[in-house]
This record gives sequence, structure tokens and C-alpha cells, in this order.
Amino acid sequence: MNADRDFLKGNEALAYGALRTGLNAYYGYPITPSSEIPETLAAEFGRGTYPEFRAFVQAASELEAINMTIGTAATGAKAMTATSGPGFSLKQEGISYAAAMELPLLIVDVNRSGPGLGNLGPEQSDYFQATKGGGHGGYRNIVLAPDSVPEMALFPSLGFELAFRYRMPVILLADAFLGQLKEDLTFPEVPAREFDTSWAVTGARGDHRHVLSSLHLELPDQSRHVEHLRSKYEEIVGAEQRSEEIATADAEVVIVAYGICARLARAAVRSLRDRSVRVGLLRPITLAPFPQDRLNALIDGGVRNLLVVELNSGQMVEDVRLVAEGRARVESLERVGGLLPSSGEVEAAAEDLTSSGDLRSALEAMVQ
Amino acid sequence: MIGAQELYETKLGPLPTLTGKPTHYCAGCEHGTLTRLIASALEDLGARERTVLVSSVGCSVLAHEYLNVDAVQAPHGRAPAVMAGIKRVRPDLLVFSIQGDGDAASIGLLELLYAANRGEPITIFLVNNAIYGMTGGQMAPTTPEGMVTTTTPFGRDLHQTGPPLDASKLVASLEGPAYVKRVFLPVTPTPSPEFFNARGALEGARAVRHAFEVQQKGGFAFVEFVSTCSVNWKLSVLESKRYAAKVLAPLFPAGLYRDRFGVEAR
Amino acid sequence: MPESLVVGLPKSRVVVDAERCKGCDLCVVVCPQRNLHLSERFNRMGYHPVEFRYHGGRGDCTACGLCYWVCPDFAITEVSRLRP
Ligand SMILES: Cc1ncc(C[n+]2csc(CCOP(=O)(O)OP(=O)(O)O)c2C)c(N)n1
Ligand code: SF4
Ligand code: SF4
Ligand code: SF4
Ligand SMILES: [Mg+2]
Repeated sequence: MNADRDFLKGNEALAYGALRTGLNAYYGYPITPSSEIPETLAAEFGRGTYPEFRAFVQAASELEAINMTIGTAATGAKAMTATSGPGFSLKQEGISYAAAMELPLLIVDVNRSGPGLGNLGPEQSDYFQATKGGGHGGYRNIVLAPDSVPEMALFPSLGFELAFRYRMPVILLADAFLGQLKEDLTFPEVPAREFDTSWAVTGARGDHRHVLSSLHLELPDQSRHVEHLRSKYEEIVGAEQRSEEIATADAEVVIVAYGICARLARAAVRSLRDRSVRVGLLRPITLAPFPQDRLNALIDGGVRNLLVVELNSGQMVEDVRLVAEGRARVESLERVGGLLPSSGEVEAAAEDLTSSGDLRSALEAMVQ
Repeated sequence: MIGAQELYETKLGPLPTLTGKPTHYCAGCEHGTLTRLIASALEDLGARERTVLVSSVGCSVLAHEYLNVDAVQAPHGRAPAVMAGIKRVRPDLLVFSIQGDGDAASIGLLELLYAANRGEPITIFLVNNAIYGMTGGQMAPTTPEGMVTTTTPFGRDLHQTGPPLDASKLVASLEGPAYVKRVFLPVTPTPSPEFFNARGALEGARAVRHAFEVQQKGGFAFVEFVSTCSVNWKLSVLESKRYAAKVLAPLFPAGLYRDRFGVEAR
Repeated sequence: MPESLVVGLPKSRVVVDAERCKGCDLCVVVCPQRNLHLSERFNRMGYHPVEFRYHGGRGDCTACGLCYWVCPDFAITEVSRLRP
């Protein structure tokens, strides 16, 4: 695929986006609903269309895959692995090591329904695992949440950029719906970027050698290392919060939603605005760092009602509440099991939080 | 004046591929012996500056402190996968691991067998001391029947645990590997009680060298070193060598299990 | 080099870094000539380090190198031979 315009599934777009940003290696174990990613990459690897794409391996497990990804990342090359829920759990051991060794790599989780085997429907229930340092020990990593096929294509490039800039694993959190959704897209020009890889293992040079290890046997050393990781993440919180806003300027109610839910919310906002109901949308693009500054600004600007729409039993809503600190009412609309709310339901839930909605429920209560 | 130094010709000397740091290994441990064999082979091959060591989790976790080469420290058992990830994008590098029997034959068996089956051009050195050394002497997949460990306090009972696992045979059962060899590394008792022979170390030196050569020819190389762990076997150093010769040598017979490129013939 | 200078010098030398030695005995038991033995003194790590004697219990050191190869602590740092 070389044309800049195309009509693709989210998973396919993500694969091409990664190839266009100079992906060097992909390792993964098949799992629905992410399998189009390795399938697309396997075909392109076989064709040899992307000369920088030097390694494709269907690994024996997600454990093997993440550790192969670690090996490639250790050489300073661009490595990616993709999976879905159950496989994401298996990768956590490796993600913790990669975070500790400060390795830049990209992990894609096309979130399906869980826990356990769950089903193949879309969910956002890996939010905690992705954003809170899902493996052992204390670490954080950047999490990007695309909401469209064009963004599925664009975010590998952003992901690698951030991964190399901060030397950390970056997680791209999509969902079953986005992975399978087909949309028109135009691939952006991705400038060839040179990253600093002076830390990578490439063979010792005289007395100078590179050692990537997560072991710090002296207690103060480990303490310093974790402190370093923490301050790096603090820098990221300061510099890398990304979000999109729609009609928030005069909004009485702001919906907070990402990924597929943001699409539903966008439709709801449009329809409510047509009826002059003052509802807006804050869409986190980085789930970690969470766009707390924009949310804070909205609350400071007078927004008193927030509606979190998410496909889990209440995960991002905790981050929203943490930012709101009681200054705004936070309600949530949740669906699980692969089910989606309709945009009408989102619309109704948002309207309920407006003053007219409040009035209506008060009237209804009186009538009963 | 001519100093005594100049009158002598160094036959074997210090190796720049060793950092010179004192090791944390217990007295008489083959982990140390192997470290020097590796350093020496890398120097013979002039490979220090294109080598990457992948250290594992076990007593070899600090191998990069002693070997003066680039290194990545892999999660427990995952070294073969990390090595494959390095080698796939950097085939010019010489990549090897030092792994314990628990690391390679228990938690990391899948990573070992799949890297072997794909014939990844990497080199794996397995230190089989029949026990979990670093964690204080628990049963390993290779622990012989009857051996007392902290998790088999009444001796390993095969009815419960199954028999000891033979990593070399498992690896050699696959098509992928180009070189599979098992070496008895400890000093070996001789009929004279105060003499031991050092054949294991010499044999080991050759095997290490061959295993690197095989990788350079594009093959997967695996060498298992039957070793000891006197501290966790609760034996003196020399008693542990005798035990290894008596119990481990027959259980894990030394031998060449695969040599696709005929490196041993030359 | 004039012949006379080397007269009486040992034909080979083994250098032991006593501070690295853990007194494991391996070099002692593999030396065919019995040139190495554990000393009475302690090194800084608290081990009895090995000492080298050119004239061993069974003969003179032949610079065979066995001690060098078996030593797990790289404490046998050098094996050298008198130049001919
Ligand atoms: C995932 C995980 N599980 C368990 C451990 C604890 N652990 C560290 S080393 C080890 C076994 C070491 O034995 P072996 O691999 O035989 O190496 P040796 O020390 O004997 O050379 C274990 C169980 C760990 N570090 N990580
Ligand atoms: S615990 Fe056993 S394997 Fe580990 S260094 Fe000591 S003797 Fe060697
Ligand atoms: S070089 Fe050989 S003979 Fe000399 S001390 Fe060492 S083992 Fe003994
Ligand atoms: S083998 Fe090395 S550590 Fe052991 S006694 Fe000899 S010199 Fe010392
Ligand atoms: Mg062991």
C-alpha cells in the first residue's frame, strides 16, 4: 500500500501508520480483535515494500513477543507489539522491565471485553492497566487514545516520537470497535526523525559500554532510579497532556470521553447544540498523562457538571473525580460486555445534567 | 638493567574483556569459571566491541558486572527472546546469554525452545547446577532424584515432581539448532584422592569458542555446562565436585548432540 | 640475551592475586606438580589465599595453565614462561 489516500480498518491503518514512521520490527501473538495488525504487517514484510521493516515474528506467546520487542528496542531500533486484553496482561511483566530500563517501544492494546476471556466486543476496561503502570513496581508510561481510523494511522508516529524523547514504553489504547471500523483516511507526511540512541547496546566502544539493566542492588540506587522515573513522568505531565475540546467555551455540562465513546459524545453534543443545549466535550488524547490542566481550566471557568462516558464499570471517572475534587458534579454513563450506549443515550444523560434537565427531573418527582 | 618481567613471556594473562571487579560468586563456583572462558573466547575472536551479553535472572544476573561488554538484563527466563529481538535487527552483533537451569529450563523453557526451533543465530550458555542457586537452594527442573533442597526437604520425589528435565536433549530434539553440546565443567575426581583433572574447563573453553563460531555462521548454539552449587548443596567445594561427578555426570551425560556446521571436526 | 642472566631463574611463573582468591582449592587439586597451596594467612575477604611455589611437591611448574583455567575468581592472573 503506497497511495496516501485509502479506505481502511483501524487496525490496518495502524499497521501502515507504523510502517510509514519507519517501524523496524514487529513481534506479536495473534488475538482478536487486533489480528489485522500482524496480518497487514506480515503481508508488507513479505513484499519488502518498507526496507526499514527488518523483522516480523509471530511469537510463541505475548511474553515472548514483548521480550523480543525489548531486545529490538535495546538496540535503539523502532519496535512494536500489538495485542488485546488477555495478551496485554501477559505483556505487563515486560512493560515493567522496559519502563525500568527506559526503553522506547510501542505497545498496542485493542481493548476487548473482559475480565478473563470476556468477549470480542469493544471495551475500555484496560484503562487502569494501561494508565496506572499495569506491571509490578512503580512506574508510569504514556498512553495514547485514538478515536478514528486516521488517528490509528497517525499515532504510531506520535507514539515513537514520545517513546524516544522520554525513553519509555508508550501504549496505544484502542478498542475492538476502532480496530474494526473502516474509514477514509489520508496518510500524513511523516518526517523521518532521528532520535538520540546513544544509550543503546551496539557493542562497546573502547572503555565506553552500554548496560541496560533494571537491577539496582544498593537500596539508595534503586530509590534514586525510581525517583528519576517519577520526575521524568512529572515532566511529561507538565509537557505532554493532549486533548480535544468541542463546544466547551460556554458549556454547562462537559462530557469526558475518549476513543469510541468520544465519537458517540461528539454526535450527542452536535444534536444538543442544535437544540441550544449547552453541552461540550473534552476528549483526552493522552489518557496518561491525563489532561488534568484542561479539565481544571474548565471547572475553574465555571463548568459544574461532568459526564464521563466509558466502556467499563468506572475507571477514567476516578481520574476525573480526582481532578474535580468535589468542585463539580461527576456522573458517569457506563456500558460493559461489548455493548455501546447509543448517542441518544449519551445525549439524554448529558441533558439530564443541565439546569433544564434538573428542572425536568424535579417536576417528574413532583408528579409521581 | 633487564627486569625479571621482560625475561618472561606471558602465556596466559589478564583479559581486557573482564572488568576486573571481584565476583559475587561463591568460592569454587562454575559461574566464575565460565565467565573467564567466555572472556577468553571473545578475545580470541576479537569480538568484544560487537558483542552483547543478555544476562538472565539467577546467579548470572550480574554477569555484565564482570564481562566488559555491552549488556541487557532480561526478565527471568526471557533472555532468548530478548536476544532474538536484538539479533533480528542487528545481525552483525554477537549475542549471547548466560542462564541458569531454572531460568532456561523452567520459567523460560518456552522462550528457549522457540528461539531454538527458529534457529535464531544466538548463543546460549546454560549453567546447570541442579538447583536454584540465587534464591537459596530450591528444587530446579534438573534436581536429581532424592536431592534435598529447601522445597524438597525429604529429597526430590519423582512421583510428585516428574523426572529431572534434560535441556540439551530437548533442544537437540528440534530441527532448528546448529550446535548443541553438554560439557561437564567442574574439576573431576581422579583415582588419586588429592588430584582432580581440569578437562572440563579446557573442554568448556573449546565449546564456548565453537558456540560463538556457530552463531557467526548463522546458527543457533546451545552449550549446557553441568556445574555445582556447593553452598546450596551444603557440601564443601571439593565434595560438591565429587557429587557432581557421581550423580550429575551420569544423569546429564556430556556429549555433542548437534554440530551442523562441523565446527568440532576442524 | 646473554645466557648467564637466566641461569638459576625459574623456568615459569604463576602470578596469584591473593586479594581475589577465595581459597576454593581448585587450582591446588588440579596442579599436576603441586605448585600451589593455601597459605596460613588471611586475605582481606577472610580467605586463605593460594601461594605459588616454582618447586612443587611433584616437580617444577610447567606453565601448563590448568590453574589459570579452573580458577573461578580470575585470581591466577598470569602464567608465564622464561624466554628461551
Ligand atoms: C518472574 C520471577 N519469578 C521468580 C523469580 C525469583 N528467582 C530469581 S532467580 C530464580 C531461580 C534461579 O535459579 P537458576 O535459574 O537455576 O539460576 P542459578 O542461580 O542456579 O544459577 C528464581 C526462582 C524472579 N526473579 N522472577
Ligand atoms: S549460590 Fe551456587 S550457583 Fe550461585 S554463586 Fe553460589 S555456588 Fe554458584
Ligand atoms: S601452570 Fe600448571 S604446573 Fe604451574 S602452577 Fe599452574 S597448574 Fe601447576
Ligand atoms: S582456584 Fe583461584 S580462587 Fe580458588 S584457590 Fe586457586 S587461586 Fe584461589
Ligand atoms: Mg541453577
